[in-house]
Amino acid sequence: MSQPVDRSSTLRRVVSFLGENGFIVIFVLWAIYLSLNTRNFATANNLFTVLRQASIIGIVAIGAHYVILLGDIDLSLASNLTLSGVVMAALMVNQGIAPLGALLITLALGAGIGVINGFIITRLKINAIITTLGVLGILEGVAFIITQGRTISGSEIDAIKFLSTGTLSSIIPVPVILLFIFYGVAFIVLRRTTYGAHVFAVGNNNKAAWLSGVNVNLVKLMTYVLAGTLAAFGGVMQVARQGTATGAMGSDFLFPILTAVVLGGASLTGGRGKIFNTLIAAIFLTSITNGMILLGVDIYTQRVISGAILIVALSLDRLRMMRP
Amino acid sequence: MTYFTIENVSKSYGAVHALKQVSFAVQRGHVHALLGENGAGKSTLIKILAGAEHSDSGEIRLDGALYQPKNPKAALAAGISTIYQVFNLLPDRTLMHNILLGKEPRNTWGLLDMKAMRTQTRTILARLNASHLDPDMRVTDLRVGDKQIIEIARALLNQSQVVIMDEPTSALNLSEADALFKVIDLLKSQGVTILYVSHRLDEIFRLADQVTVLRDGTHISTQAIANVTRGSLVEDMIGRKLTGVFPERSHHGTQEVLRADGLSMRSALHDISFSLHAGEILAIAGLSGSGKTELGKAIYGDLQLERGQIWLHGKPFKPSPMNALQHGLIYLPEDRKAEGVIGELSVRRNIALPILKRIANPFGFIDEQQESTVAQAQIETLDIKTPNADQLVINLSGGNQQKVALAKCLAVHPEIFILMEPTQGIDIGVKFDLYQFIADQAAQGRSILLISSEVTEILGLAHRILVMRDGRIAGELEGATATQDKILRCALGEAVT
Repeated sequence: MSQPVDRSSTLRRVVSFLGENGFIVIFVLWAIYLSLNTRNFATANNLFTVLRQASIIGIVAIGAHYVILLGDIDLSLASNLTLSGVVMAALMVNQGIAPLGALLITLALGAGIGVINGFIITRLKINAIITTLGVLGILEGVAFIITQGRTISGSEIDAIKFLSTGTLSSIIPVPVILLFIFYGVAFIVLRRTTYGAHVFAVGNNNKAAWLSGVNVNLVKLMTYVLAGTLAAFGGVMQVARQGTATGAMGSDFLFPILTAVVLGGASLTGGRGKIFNTLIAAIFLTSITNGMILLGVDIYTQRVISGAILIVALSLDRLRMMRP
Repeated sequence: MTYFTIENVSKSYGAVHALKQVSFAVQRGHVHALLGENGAGKSTLIKILAGAEHSDSGEIRLDGALYQPKNPKAALAAGISTIYQVFNLLPDRTLMHNILLGKEPRNTWGLLDMKAMRTQTRTILARLNASHLDPDMRVTDLRVGDKQIIEIARALLNQSQVVIMDEPTSALNLSEADALFKVIDLLKSQGVTILYVSHRLDEIFRLADQVTVLRDGTHISTQAIANVTRGSLVEDMIGRKLTGVFPERSHHGTQEVLRADGLSMRSALHDISFSLHAGEILAIAGLSGSGKTELGKAIYGDLQLERGQIWLHGKPFKPSPMNALQHGLIYLPEDRKAEGVIGELSVRRNIALPILKRIANPFGFIDEQQESTVAQAQIETLDIKTPNADQLVINLSGGNQQKVALAKCLAVHPEIFILMEPTQGIDIGVKFDLYQFIADQAAQGRSILLISSEVTEILGLAHRILVMRDGRIAGELEGATATQDKILRCALGEAVT
């Protein structure tokens, strides 16, 4: 009887490793495949391109990661990014406000959207999915009202272009530096602060956390504010990258932001997740698009494959829940 | 007649030997008690019998045949039902859907035959003396004792020959426990064999025909109940003699620290008023449904009061966990696993959770050194069995999880304790340490509201006893002169003589 037990514990270890890190294995295989089959993938230039493209998704995914740690989900982040980008551009181009002032106003807007989400969810006790879905619609609508369906562009935007194309020592792109700094801070906040400890506590056992004197509503509110602010910053970075703003500029972000968190192994029921895995997943997702372009796969097939990857990620999540 | 035998069964989890070569036999139609402290291996043995775990070596024979259930379903098919402390019920479904789950009667169209479901449910509930339960009630609306009846009903429907009960009375009050004992007598008279796991010696002597004691995963003894005494059982369990005496009552002050004024809450509480003094142990006794649980919850803010006012040190207090902790009021929830601990966090983090802000710098960074010190002190005080403070709570045994919940409260160094069933599921050896601790706290001027179903500990500890019935305070007794009889009469609404 002893042998099957040993085998099952080995199996358990393999399953739990794959559940938490399976996507990294797939990522490594994918990178090896691309290195062997394309001429350009494994060049420093292309790798920095991948990281630069991953930076916006990665930074906004920090907020999504925190919200998912609570056991909630924030669907409004991508439309927050859109509205913030539009407002940032409009403030600079139409109102002639200096970049720093425009940035602060935009970040305040993003934080405000977080306050609204947090207020509705904690005070009115409305489910997070429903709330953020509703807010998503509102934000997109407002973005279109501001742009009137047109593209906002102007030379004023050049002042923030360094957020996208700037480099340190003319090698490391500014957005990549920001990406790593943000993740470093996000990690420390989760690991070393009372707020971070409370996020894990609330996500694991809301009731026990509350009875332990944790201000559950405040923790949730703060988390939505944090996520909203980061999404707004993502919007600013996207304006810097495109040099323009439109009412649809964030629509391609919703999917990869949430995919990155789930692919990174954060549990959708809350309380469990590694922030650096979300970073790696964001880079992986970007490398999928990058690699498929290098391989000459068309844009529609890319979407099919991206969808398939989300389902694989969710299956890994299930695998981890099962304790054989 | 021997019904099943356990022979040299061993089981390890990593380096932990949960069971070491355990052997004993259980007779058909007996109530066979399984005794042991937390970590003795009772739960592991039960899980193996229930098919939820597999032994590493050894064998079990059921009616002579080798019994090796692959999974819980196979165990059920073999006629072994297990009733765990945490119930496996569907909370939002009705009683009949729960009891008949997987065995629903169907009509000729293949649809559920609701009428037959109701009838069958009523019949089986009547067999368990539980006719007060309606088949259409939802499980979530039931009291703990009634949920247990539903589990037993399922076992009966399964025609189980063996029913394993894991600490069945741990969440029950006196009258519920008594009802359960009658059900057990009933099952026994029908030839059902019962493996009964409990800490409570009173119950063992009331129910058991034979008793097996495990300690540290080893089989210590299996004897007929007539051949053992309380003392010999306790000695077998803890491996040493126990001097189980309650600490002496200290004198308490006259200064009022907490006053409740006309507390009311819909059907649960009606106009409750009392005072708690510095250094006083005030016990709240009562049957389940008397409102004593709700009273504790309402003072801490877990339930919302409709009317009434609470005063702390003469100042109005608005109940909420955050407010309570700020004012040095701490609460030990009754349902420790669901409300007391956070399974996926470490022992250290769990213990420090209520005081994290106190041990953090102004920027919110936690002083992990201090966190470890605080946790380690509690681990030692309560003798929490964990490899280290960084272990996730979910990996600890049930009893040790309870201790973590208690450790959390102690780490706060509160002025006022609200303790809900504090010794429920606690080792007998640790129990008296805990009584000593409670008495010491009172002697140092801290006040304790002891909400308990264990009359023994109420009588042994309390300065004053408030007995509740139907949401009202039915009587007040002096701790030193009260008796079990007086408390029970008062709780049942009979005149106290």
